[in-house]
Amino acid sequence: MRLVIFEDKKFHNFFPIAYLRPAFELRCGHTSFYEKIIRNHPGLPVSFFCREYLAETFSSRMPRGASVNNLFTLKDDLLVFNGSLLVDDFRLEAEGNEEAAFNEDGDLLYARINKETAGKLPADDIFTFLAAAAGKIPAKKVSGLILIRYQWELIHHNPRAIDSDFRIAGKKGIEGEIHESAIVYGPVERLYLAPGAKVHPQVVIDTYSGPVTIENGAIIFPHSRIEGPCYIGPETQIFRGNIREGCSFGPVCRVGGEVEESIIHGYSNKYHDGFLGHAYVGEWVNLGALTTNSDLKNDYGNVEMYMPDETGKWRYIDTGDPKVGSFIGDHTKTSIGTFFNTGSHIGVMTLLMGTGKVLPKFIPSFAWLVEGAVTGGYGYEKLLETAKIATARRNRALTEVDRKLLDYVYELTRPEREKAIKKDRKKLLRS
Amino acid sequence: MAEYQEVLSRVKKVTARVLNAEENEINEGSQFAWDLGAESIDSIKLVAGFDEEFGIEMDEAEAVQVQSVGEAAKFIMKYL
Repeated sequence: MRLVIFEDKKFHNFFPIAYLRPAFELRCGHTSFYEKIIRNHPGLPVSFFCREYLAETFSSRMPRGASVNNLFTLKDDLLVFNGSLLVDDFRLEAEGNEEAAFNEDGDLLYARINKETAGKLPADDIFTFLAAAAGKIPAKKVSGLILIRYQWELIHHNPRAIDSDFRIAGKKGIEGEIHESAIVYGPVERLYLAPGAKVHPQVVIDTYSGPVTIENGAIIFPHSRIEGPCYIGPETQIFRGNIREGCSFGPVCRVGGEVEESIIHGYSNKYHDGFLGHAYVGEWVNLGALTTNSDLKNDYGNVEMYMPDETGKWRYIDTGDPKVGSFIGDHTKTSIGTFFNTGSHIGVMTLLMGTGKVLPKFIPSFAWLVEGAVTGGYGYEKLLETAKIATARRNRALTEVDRKLLDYVYELTRPEREKAIKKDRKKLLRS
Repeated sequence: MAEYQEVLSRVKKVTARVLNAEENEINEGSQFAWDLGAESIDSIKLVAGFDEEFGIEMDEAEAVQVQSVGEAAKFIMKYL
């Protein structure tokens, strides 16, 4: 029996935060999508299927022997999951009839395929395999399971996912250090302070609205307020933070100022004052002091985001949601006083200089924003140098595999970047 | 040589505009930072200005290394 987790074809709905990772590696609640699926099916070998250019870096983050894009592993009894399925305690039993479950839009959510059927299906690629399987085994329509379709939905579902992950983890109480002047306001059983976590004096942890988890090595410095539901990952530090409900911070983040209903994937800094709301921040991002994003339009209308479709054509999408902040790609750096508009798409490894005004809603990957204009700046190699310095500060190296991935995405995003640079050239020269 | 002089003249014109300098105070040997007061952002604007003036797309990383007006003209000629 094998667990199969696949990235479906709508990964572009998660750009920019999914340029450097499969969509199933995005965080919602305590963990990523795929970690929840594995959690619910312990002990099974796992095969992952994702965009080919991500396979090498994703493999390097997995335990040795993990299977990525290996079609030979499909000749087995299979429990197949769409990697964008946000499971709480939903699990597929190993024993059972073959079935393929779809949502009302016809997206495959999960399937149980036995070895005999699997062995006869074409396996040129995962989608051919799954399409053939769907044609052979009983199909059913399922409601009540959450398939995340767009990146802003991660934020929308984050509070509930934190709640669910806390419940399923089953860990509660204080195992770390908490100063006597720190206050747990609300049920203490809705706090989990892991061994090695520290809460300094004059901190308030409010669990009335939801549970709070503070992982090993995390430190909450004085005059911070943490409101549940909230997840604070290993070795993350909170400095005078006003952490409102619905936030998840991955490992090794530095967070201060006001943050509300946001996800910081990991290894990123928002150390200083400034507001971050309804946002998803990738890895290795540094938000300079007073970087602030808007998550609500002045007219309270729905927010639009500039996104590519499956053909690579860019257009504005109505999110259907009045509360949408910024989506900030890995390795991006902002200067002091950078202001993001609602629904901002900020690419990978951009270098942004604040202007005192709200920046454009779309900034392509690897661009330098200078005086409000998209430019090529000092070039790609200079951005890589900065990335090497930033990762080294956290004792991580920018490896050859990472470099290869960045080179690929640099070329992938070239068309929209060059278009924006040409378009903004006159604006830059007028400034 | 004539071609170089024409390019140099246009480089001086762009430089004057971007750096708010007097064109007649810019000569072939003028250093952008040292003589003309260009800051780091200005070098990005100069590259954009030259790209726009000459209809070229220079490699940014190489272009921002150019230190003087004359070197800029020679660098630009590689793209013409």
